[in-house]
Amino acid sequence: MTEATPRITAPYLEQFSHATVRILGKVRQLRGEQATIDAGGNIQVHLNRDAHLQLNHAVEIIGKVQNDLSVKVMASTDMGPEASIDFNAVDAVVDATHRYREIFYDKEQ
Amino acid sequence: MDYSNNYSTTSYGAQGGAAGGGFMPGSQSDSPGAKRTYGKDTLRPVTIKQLVDAHHPHPDAEYFMIDNSEATQVTFVGQIRNISTQTTNVTYKLDDGTGIIEVKVWIDAEAFADPAHPGNERPKPVEQGYARCWGRLKAFNNKRHVGANVIRPIQDFNEIQYHLLEATAVHLHFTRGSPETLQQNSKGGAANGVGGQANGHAGGAGAAGYDGGNDGGSGVRPLPAGASRAARQVYATIKDSPQTHEGLHMQDIATRSGMDVGEVYKGGDELQSLGMIYTTVDDQTWAILDV
Repeated sequence: MTEATPRITAPYLEQFSHATVRILGKVRQLRGEQATIDAGGNIQVHLNRDAHLQLNHAVEIIGKVQNDLSVKVMASTDMGPEASIDFNAVDAVVDATHRYREIFYDKEQ
Repeated sequence: MDYSNNYSTTSYGAQGGAAGGGFMPGSQSDSPGAKRTYGKDTLRPVTIKQLVDAHHPHPDAEYFMIDNSEATQVTFVGQIRNISTQTTNVTYKLDDGTGIIEVKVWIDAEAFADPAHPGNERPKPVEQGYARCWGRLKAFNNKRHVGANVIRPIQDFNEIQYHLLEATAVHLHFTRGSPETLQQNSKGGAANGVGGQANGHAGGAGAAGYDGGNDGGSGVRPLPAGASRAARQVYATIKDSPQTHEGLHMQDIATRSGMDVGEVYKGGDELQSLGMIYTTVDDQTWAILDV
């Protein structure tokens, strides 16, 4: 099933290269078509037309991990000022996703 | 142990039976066509993948099995990919990152006809927004959907994380036993494999538990992660009860643990095939296998 989009952070990028993933992070830099997101480390993302990222906001992106471990955005959801999100809980979810994978995603994509 | 037992179908059904006559909650009417009561409905937080993977016991069953327990009402949080309004219901396509499922909500004709109805003042779910829904998993024409009672938009995005962690905790409760059971076991000075295996939060905390006191002077090995709750309970009971080298009889284990004899038998059988216990004087008396 390709419907699952596992939640990951920067350290998992390599393991999920070419996969479609979900990343919840903080917007650190905006450079036109590109941006830097902090989710357990910096991640370079390539934006699409509909992406409206705001600096210092939390954003959830669904995207495809490229060869160079950057992420091509397919959809993004603004989640408000980064202080409104508990990132410890976000990290716990990523940990649970991979520790108890059976209820989150199938290994072979 | 008492904690987990409260949830078991047998004790619940037995209570209803003991009351004698009248309305019997959860009376054993699993035969197709029999009217099912709502007495033993549960509301369980789940991921969409669990709904997609849930085992349907037979095509007419009104419930599904998730982690070997009956699931009737479920709740989950997901992102709305699509909303389509039909004549009698609104169908939402929800995606929570683990899978996608359709959620159908009946249209409230009264609220639909009257613009001043209080039901219309509630915030409405929107496409690409996150929502939580409560409902019942259904299978129709080999396709699964959730018949929802309520769907409401998420206001605080932390609820997404909260929900996924809650669903994980409940999943672990059903597959590895409740944290209360595990704590009780380690408090009694009998740190054991059950506790170690199931401590999900602390990750590798299991190993610390194994060197705790052991009662009968017997070496204690951790049970494999896949062992059932019955097997864990039986194992813990044999290990924690004073006994001769002949071990404990099935009946004795049932009395001590408050379990059903049939359950003890199943648990014991599983432990035997795992090589954790062995039979002594007869086929129903077991002792822990020291290695």
